Amino acid sequence: MSLLRYTVYRLLQAIPVMFGIAVVTFLMVNLAPGDPVDYMISEELASEELIASIEARYGLDEPLWRQFLNYLGFSWFLGLLGVPGFADAPPGLLQGDLGLSMYYDRPVSELMLTRIPPTLMLVLSAYAFALTLAIPLGVVAANRRNKPTDHISRIIALFGVSTPSFWIGIMLIVIFGVWLGILPTGRMVYPWRDPAFYGYGNHLELWYQTLRHLFLPVVALGTLQMAVIMRVERSSMIESLQSEYVQLARAYGVSERTILRKHAFRPSQLPVITLIGLNLTTSLGGAVLIETVFAINGMGRLIVQSIQTLDYQLILGTTIVLGFVFVIGVIITDLAYAYIDPRVTYGEEA
Amino acid sequence: MSEPLLTVRDLKTQFYTDRGAVRAVDGVSFDVEQGEIVGLVGESGAGKSVTTSSILRLVEEPGEVVGGKVRYGDRTLVGFDEAAVADEDGRPKLVHSEEMLSNREMREEVRGNEIAIIFQDPMESLNPVYTVGGQVREFIQINRDMSKEEAREEAIEMLRRVGIPEAEDRYSDYPHEFSGGMRQRVLIAMALGCRPNLIIADEPTTALDVTVEGQILELVDDLVDEFDTSFIWVTHDMGVVAEICDRVNVMYLGRIVEQGPVDEIFHDTKHPYTEALLNSIPRPDRTVSDLSPIKGTMPGAMNPPAGCRFHPRCPDARRACREVEPDLLEVGLDHRSACIKHGEVGYWESEPLEHTEAQPETVEGPR
Ligand SMILES: Nc1ncnc2c1ncn2[C@@H]1O[C@H](COP(=O)(O)OP(=O)(O)OP(=O)(O)O)[C@@H](O)[C@H]1O
Ligand code: SF4
Ligand SMILES: [Mg+2]
Repeated sequence: MSLLRYTVYRLLQAIPVMFGIAVVTFLMVNLAPGDPVDYMISEELASEELIASIEARYGLDEPLWRQFLNYLGFSWFLGLLGVPGFADAPPGLLQGDLGLSMYYDRPVSELMLTRIPPTLMLVLSAYAFALTLAIPLGVVAANRRNKPTDHISRIIALFGVSTPSFWIGIMLIVIFGVWLGILPTGRMVYPWRDPAFYGYGNHLELWYQTLRHLFLPVVALGTLQMAVIMRVERSSMIESLQSEYVQLARAYGVSERTILRKHAFRPSQLPVITLIGLNLTTSLGGAVLIETVFAINGMGRLIVQSIQTLDYQLILGTTIVLGFVFVIGVIITDLAYAYIDPRVTYGEEA
Repeated sequence: MSEPLLTVRDLKTQFYTDRGAVRAVDGVSFDVEQGEIVGLVGESGAGKSVTTSSILRLVEEPGEVVGGKVRYGDRTLVGFDEAAVADEDGRPKLVHSEEMLSNREMREEVRGNEIAIIFQDPMESLNPVYTVGGQVREFIQINRDMSKEEAREEAIEMLRRVGIPEAEDRYSDYPHEFSGGMRQRVLIAMALGCRPNLIIADEPTTALDVTVEGQILELVDDLVDEFDTSFIWVTHDMGVVAEICDRVNVMYLGRIVEQGPVDEIFHDTKHPYTEALLNSIPRPDRTVSDLSPIKGTMPGAMNPPAGCRFHPRCPDARRACREVEPDLLEVGLDHRSACIKHGEVGYWESEPLEHTEAQPETVEGPR
């Protein structure tokens, strides 16, 4: 099976999984105790009419099966086809509409579109930071096994895996923000905004400021990932360096440098990729904490708020989208794996 | 005869394990002449593979070549000198000699382009994430100073010659798409493609069926005729030895027990171990019931038996065999055997050793 066919195959496979995520999340949220409308109206004496009008506004007055079809966007299609009773059905998930947030009184999709980019920027930068340090360190440590370089990098890794990221974050704020006062610790600036919005003269300055603002949260979030990746990189490289195929390359006069960069390196990346794929999505959990510590308005904070305010539509939307992100993460991992390891695509066909 | 192509003298290689030092190769000496095929035979664990990797200085931790000399033409691949300072026990310490090639010289001038090796294990020897053809091409490219395109052509040609059908198409397949026998042929193609002067082949045809083995052996014959290539051929199979080798070295527990021209070894066998080895293989002139496998298993190389290492299993062993360590002695023209029968140390006066069932079981060495 070619890589292209494998890609299409994996994407098609993801459709039923995503559908399942949407269904299960919808049911779970709806079966959870607590009535969102009660929560919304804090006054004791809400009139029947008020409650009814609110329910109508958010589509809560319809039977659950109908709400379900509405939410997924099936009703909209049925309306399009002219099925009676669905004539003016609202758009849903399939049309990119996730309903209205009760707390913000704005469309959920619109809220998320403003909150996803900061989180993506934070998580991806943290990974860029982690990888650029972890991969070379891991390779060098493996190559100089049990020598001082190796010991030092192992101590760094041990520190990295055993220190909670929010603690690192707070320490960084105290040291760089409070004592030294050389780096900003909050009020993130975003490079896609207009520089004038922050009072910067041009885009270059805005980018520079973004980097400065990102530095501490990225170090806080990325240190754990760096440590974990480095450990796996090291042990995987050690294994390859002792393999028969590396011995063979040596026997044919290939230089140690080429062995390190080619013969041993590529097969060693398989476990690293698996790890990154799994951690990228779970590290969103870490992002929630870091967003709170550094006051970044990302998805993490949005989710926390949605739960605190029992914002039914928002909880539903963010959970489903996070589930989708997870599925996409797994697919990307698989594709990267297939790209490096020829055995993967083959196995699917057999 | 002129200077041999390869001289191995008293080569010693040890592995330092948790349970002590394993003397895997313990004083091995033999020569390889230009254009000659030299057999290296012996049971599993005799030290054949370690001998071959010691020659190319490919022994990995925890192993180390600890003594002896290997010369290739006028170059010293392995050499030791006594250091000025003795070690703690007062014994002279060995240090690598001055004329021994540096690691860089080994890599650039010897490995691949002068001496190529075909590893024993075809399943693990190819890199799983690169194409088979690409791997052959890379080694040819490095060792013959060819352009990528030329090396590619050559690689396809070599794959064809070792009998890989549709070599051009299979060039871009990955190792997992090849059977064990095919991978073995790929390894052979790599060695041949680099056009080395000496090829060390570690049981290269063991995984192949008889037809393919025949083809490979023919190819080897052609190469010797065409390029005067020399071979060290490691094998269990005395049949293959008879077919292609000019001279044979029989190894037992880290030592060579008999060496000589192939005809002499087969028809004028001197060492009881060689005899036992020959008796244990099927031959056209014998029936299966005539076969007599060698008793017991070879002991580990950690504590080899005192005296002659073969004595616990030797049908001819006598009391003296437990005390005297036999040296390789001249027993014919270019024919040597390490058995005290040939010497003057009282073998014939000594009492025969009884091999009974009660004999202490020898322990299997670490693998
Ligand atoms: N890495 C190692 N660590 C410890 N001992 C080793 C190591 N490699 C080899 N040995 C020991 O060296 C001895 C010789 O091994 P070697 O692989 O040379 O045998 P061989 O003659 O090639 O056998 P076979 O026919 O099975 O390939 C064995 O006793 C083995 O246990
Ligand atoms: S020395 Fe003794 S034990 Fe060793 S091979 Fe000769 S006869 Fe057998
Ligand atoms: Mg072997």
